[in-house]
Amino acid sequence: MSDSRLENLAKILVQYSTSVQPGDRMAILAQPAAMPLVEEIYSAILKAGGFPYYLVGGLRSRVETDRLAYLLFTQGNDEQIQHVHQFEKKIREEFEGMIILYSQENTRALSSVPPSKQSDRAKAFIDVTKIYQARSASGEFKWALSLYPTHAYAQDAEMSLHEFEDYVYGTTFADTDDPVAAWNRIHDEQQRLVDWLKGKKMLEVRGPNVDLKLSIEGRSFINSDGHKNMPSGEIYTSPVENSTEGWVHFTYPAIRESREVDGIELVFEEGKVVKASASKNEEFLNAMLDTDKGARYLGEFAIGTNKRINKFIKSILFDEKIGGTIHMAVGYGFTEAGSKNESAIHWDMICDMREGGQITADGELFYDSGEFRI
Amino acid sequence: MTDIRTINLAKILVNYSLEIKKGDRVAVLGTSLAEPLMLELERYILRAGGHPELIARIPGSDYVQFTESSNEQLEYISPLFKLVIEEYEGLIRLFSTVNTRELTNVPAEKQGIRAKSMSEIMKRYHERSASGDLRWVVSMFPTAALAQEAEMSLNEFEDFVYGATYADHEDPVKAWQQIHDQQQRLVEWLKGKQDIVVKGPDVDLKLSIQDREFVNSDGKFNMPSGEIYTSPVEESAEGWIRFSYPAIQGGREVNGVELTFEGGRVVKAGAEKNDAFLQEMLAVDEGAKRLGEFAIGTNVGIDRFIGNMLFDEKLGGTIHLALGNGFAEIGGVNTSSIHWDMLCDMKDGGKIFVDGELFYDSGEFKI
Repeated sequence: MSDSRLENLAKILVQYSTSVQPGDRMAILAQPAAMPLVEEIYSAILKAGGFPYYLVGGLRSRVETDRLAYLLFTQGNDEQIQHVHQFEKKIREEFEGMIILYSQENTRALSSVPPSKQSDRAKAFIDVTKIYQARSASGEFKWALSLYPTHAYAQDAEMSLHEFEDYVYGTTFADTDDPVAAWNRIHDEQQRLVDWLKGKKMLEVRGPNVDLKLSIEGRSFINSDGHKNMPSGEIYTSPVENSTEGWVHFTYPAIRESREVDGIELVFEEGKVVKASASKNEEFLNAMLDTDKGARYLGEFAIGTNKRINKFIKSILFDEKIGGTIHMAVGYGFTEAGSKNESAIHWDMICDMREGGQITADGELFYDSGEFRI
Repeated sequence: MTDIRTINLAKILVNYSLEIKKGDRVAVLGTSLAEPLMLELERYILRAGGHPELIARIPGSDYVQFTESSNEQLEYISPLFKLVIEEYEGLIRLFSTVNTRELTNVPAEKQGIRAKSMSEIMKRYHERSASGDLRWVVSMFPTAALAQEAEMSLNEFEDFVYGATYADHEDPVKAWQQIHDQQQRLVEWLKGKQDIVVKGPDVDLKLSIQDREFVNSDGKFNMPSGEIYTSPVEESAEGWIRFSYPAIQGGREVNGVELTFEGGRVVKAGAEKNDAFLQEMLAVDEGAKRLGEFAIGTNVGIDRFIGNMLFDEKLGGTIHLALGNGFAEIGGVNTSSIHWDMLCDMKDGGKIFVDGELFYDSGEFKI
């Protein structure tokens, strides 16, 4: 008998997040460390009538494990690094769905790999990414992203594994008797906000760390209610690409490819990042912004709503949902929200709003210091 | 197939650091993750004629112990551990944790209780160490958690650890003997000296080393090593220092520590992050407010801060001070249940004057 919270999380992912149907080919991408959860998901997919496939993977680098990724990036030539992983491609192009479990043993395994090599690998995957996004937007491809608690993530969160397990199963509601009902309530609360925002044109975001204007004309906010990310709790859109004007200072570190970038400040003119600085790893920030043209434009503007997520733990899957924060991503946007921005990257950065941060929509106060005002 | 460097590290620890002889009883403490190194240690201790005792903690058991124990249970010292400290000839401790932040949320008070209850046995440990009856060494078996803390892949981190210990060397013992010779010259020059003045962007401090000797740390007690250290006269420290690297104790990281000393005692202490923990540790006992150590790191093979004091305090171009327990074998009389090392970079214009003479400048020895 395994931890019943594991069984619950598997149920949420299979029955609620991806709602697996008979005949669905479902890939589970995870590190071997996640086997206890993989087995529960495998079993839940079988019960739903699907065809489960387990593949070692689920890393951003799309190499099987951290150690193998290190070998590829340090020993591989350009052609090998830019080779598109055929299994990962086939899943996104043909399968009905996939569940990715973050489950690393060392979150800093690629710290010393030159960022350009990692972005070259991401660039080579962009055609697959486009197909995958289109299939996701049309509903042909159902995917969910979650996390299996390992010592490595616990260490980043400055917790013991025991404490971290409580955090993960608590924020996903896997520790409750009826987690699906809890997610349905979150859906309803957020739907009200998303409906109110329909047809609005201009957002102004002001506070101690931000002074920004962006247009959402013709764009819709999406209710992130635990279908693609588990846990979830955010509403997001892709702003009009050339509309962003102003300045933002991200109050939390932004983490990507094993690197932590602290104190990021961005200045936007006509949608483009024209100035970028950071107190730590500024060079990496600029290398990422130079990945391609789209990497200097916003692909996302979002508001985190999950108040059970109340601590920054250096995992974006959780951190971007912190109740009382907003986040923005440079790079590719969401076609389902109307975005036209294309890029090989999508990098989320978070800004605290709890102390006096305000959002107005077409001049009306929508949000103040972490609370919705409509 | 075991990594040849793991075998070399076992050989260094058994044959160089502890020089195990026939009949020596040797306890090896680590976690179960250190299994490959512990097995090689067992092999080489047996080959040297000793009696190995492998004691492996299971990942997560420290956390269970701290969270499930009453204060009374925390004060309990295992008689097996006592036996090792009071009677054994050898002790090898291996850092090999599964999660470097496992104890972050354990109240500092509980850690203080544990540390205090250990103080008597630690006193015995220091006495037997000073008399040479107990030979001990601290080393590391590289784990994913330690690699992550160091912001490296495990592959790179293994290279780092085995490089810093010369376990990747054909003749590691010879390399350690060379380090011994270089440091011996410095230690001998310092003999009989009285006053040390440390000046630089982050430090303005005076210490007396009258009748205190510097110790040549050449890989006997720490593997890797590469430092010279002493216990300054307990009432002598005057001035100010800002530690450029995070100070880590009991899984907790304290950043931007600044200390002001008067008459040898910390009279002002502040930190940018986890200041409350710093204050609690300073209040553990009277000795926690005084210096037990002043040291200079010399190992240039250790080229970056990795969040582990075994390596960091040897960083070439840095000095470190420890609050708390001093070294009895060189005349240190400060006693405390803590010994907390804190590290200050000297490479950008840090200078050390000894009886008025320039001894060290920006990471280089000038004598």
